[in-house]
Amino acid sequence: MSSLFKDYRDIVERLKKEIGSENLVGYEIPRPRRIWFSVRREKLIDAIAYLVGEGFVHLSTITGLEGENGLEVIYHLNKKGLEASLKVEVPVKNPVLPTITPIVPGAILYEREVHELLGVVFSGHPNLSPLILPEDWPEGVYPLRKEWTHEEIKKKLLRRT
Amino acid sequence: MSSIIKIPFGPQHPSFKEPENFMFKVDGEYVVDVTPRIGYAHRGIEKALENRTYIQDLYLVERICGICSHAHTTCYTQAVEEALEVDVPPRAKYIRTIVTELERIHNHYYWLGIVAHEIGFETLFMYTWRDREIVMDLLELLSGNRVQYAMNMIGGVRRDITPEISSEIMKGVTVLGERMEYHKRICSDERTILTRSVNVGVLKTKDAISHCAVGPTLRASNVKRDVRADDPYAAYDEIPFNVVTYDGCDVASRIATRCDEVIESVEIIRYALEHLPTGSIEVIVSRVVPQAEVVSRVEAPRGENIHYLRSNGTDKPTRYKVRAPTLANLTALCKMLIGGYIADIPIVIAGIDPCFCCMDRLIFVDVNNDETWDWKGEKLRRYGIKWYKKQ
Amino acid sequence: MGLIKWARTKSPWLLHFNSGGCAGCDIEVVATLNPRFDIERFGMLLKGSPRHSDILVLTGPITFQIKDRLKRIYNQMPEPKFVIAIGSCAISGGVYRGCYNVHEGADEVVPVDVYVPGCPPKPEAMIDGIIKVLRNYKEATP
Repeated sequence: MSSLFKDYRDIVERLKKEIGSENLVGYEIPRPRRIWFSVRREKLIDAIAYLVGEGFVHLSTITGLEGENGLEVIYHLNKKGLEASLKVEVPVKNPVLPTITPIVPGAILYEREVHELLGVVFSGHPNLSPLILPEDWPEGVYPLRKEWTHEEIKKKLLRRT
Repeated sequence: MSSIIKIPFGPQHPSFKEPENFMFKVDGEYVVDVTPRIGYAHRGIEKALENRTYIQDLYLVERICGICSHAHTTCYTQAVEEALEVDVPPRAKYIRTIVTELERIHNHYYWLGIVAHEIGFETLFMYTWRDREIVMDLLELLSGNRVQYAMNMIGGVRRDITPEISSEIMKGVTVLGERMEYHKRICSDERTILTRSVNVGVLKTKDAISHCAVGPTLRASNVKRDVRADDPYAAYDEIPFNVVTYDGCDVASRIATRCDEVIESVEIIRYALEHLPTGSIEVIVSRVVPQAEVVSRVEAPRGENIHYLRSNGTDKPTRYKVRAPTLANLTALCKMLIGGYIADIPIVIAGIDPCFCCMDRLIFVDVNNDETWDWKGEKLRRYGIKWYKKQ
Repeated sequence: MGLIKWARTKSPWLLHFNSGGCAGCDIEVVATLNPRFDIERFGMLLKGSPRHSDILVLTGPITFQIKDRLKRIYNQMPEPKFVIAIGSCAISGGVYRGCYNVHEGADEVVPVDVYVPGCPPKPEAMIDGIIKVLRNYKEATP
């Protein structure tokens, strides 16, 4: 077990060397086959490129949520069962992140979903049109944000019809 | 004279799950480009999960998809149990595994019937669906319902396997295994099926990896990736099994992969029943989940299912994210459709197993003459069959 | 009973439409086709086009996205037409009641004749629902 965690810590060290230790905000290894990183958004592309180079070629999904200090986007990458989740914080006033589709083409739909439900803008994305919400969904209503409760959304939809 | 024609594949189709809309650009018979537009089944589940307690969420999570319902609840209960830091009794893990594999057998038989229906092979469709009734009877015996079994609860499983149920399951899966051997022989020898499936819907290995495909679609492109083997959960770390891969990268390989997976599932169930540990089937857990962040993955019949949970010390989750396998295969699907014939569209879309046939209303638009006319899914299917007869 | 009415009740054609559900009810609807339940012995066929169908078999909660399509399909069906709402979601929203993108029952969008409760209802229950529709139609004034 300790040798397994040593391998994980080696990955963390190499990531630190790649993007600079001040840009790796934190990391956690809660159990076998799970690593969590937090990086600054300026170094997101470098961190993803490094992890993909290390063998984490499979992007399971991209989670977006509204945390305590703004929006958080988590990239879940996988290498043969080892799941590395990379967290990036984004301020609500300026929710912009670079797209990772040049490195991982499979991210194209996941970024669209996070954009639509949370309002994060992925600069450089080929097509950020709506994916799952109806065509006549009102602008600016991001269902996953805490300010948009069910009652607020229903009120906004009724006002529109 | 060739011209690019845009064909929207409407969302209405006599089927379920993501009624998708595809916008195809075709040049003569070839598909040049495809753009998916989904969301017709978007029910706002992730938001609803934040407003309900963990126990209420269990029933909502189960109904994300009717066919992979057990996979979703397994993923959910695993996530919550990891956040609670409880360990489920070994007997419960084995029972979860048995139901997961029964669901896999159900799904693959069902899918084989659909594929046969898309090709026009109605006899195989009826045969596989007759055999599927065996596994539905077993699931009803075990859990009380044919669909939506509700076997999982946070902390274990709801019902136990008695020796009588165990012997019925053994008998049933033996028959299912033998019948699948027969169906597999048909699918690999029958010329009608081979003509419609070999070199159709090709997804090369490097494309499958870069587009992050999952499940049998990925394994049929020669990538040995299976959550049960790579990231074992439930009882999979104690049960020996093989990960099935084929290197054809086409629809025929996907058929063969799923047939072999059923045969593997039969062996897994047999092993699990013979080595079922004794003991309790559940532990009592607290309703309040401490602060934690968990990623839980299972291998649903269609591919990798991943859930993310963030809890905050109350009895409701702060955020619960679900990514079901068909979404992961959608980008790969677009890659497979481009360069193929219109006649192959139904079988390629059915090949990634998006739950029954995907299209019903199909409108042809001739941009030059400004004409529109309708083709229903049934007509498209017959068009495909007639087109191949002419070749 | 006239010849046309006899023909309609002896051989109704169904259109199965999933309006955004989980697919549990839909598997059971298509399971009615297989040799065990075999709705074809009643003369029923699952058709793909609204223009050919007598009965609309509706499953799933009606999402906002699909509401207009459902209305269009209902309008395209020729008279006399019937709607059967299958499953708790089509009756009242089911587990999704309260979600931001679903209606609370199919009768907010189209008039429903028969409700078949269950999650999902068994194929036998669905066949029973269809027979009830036909019986009501037969007994109604011509």
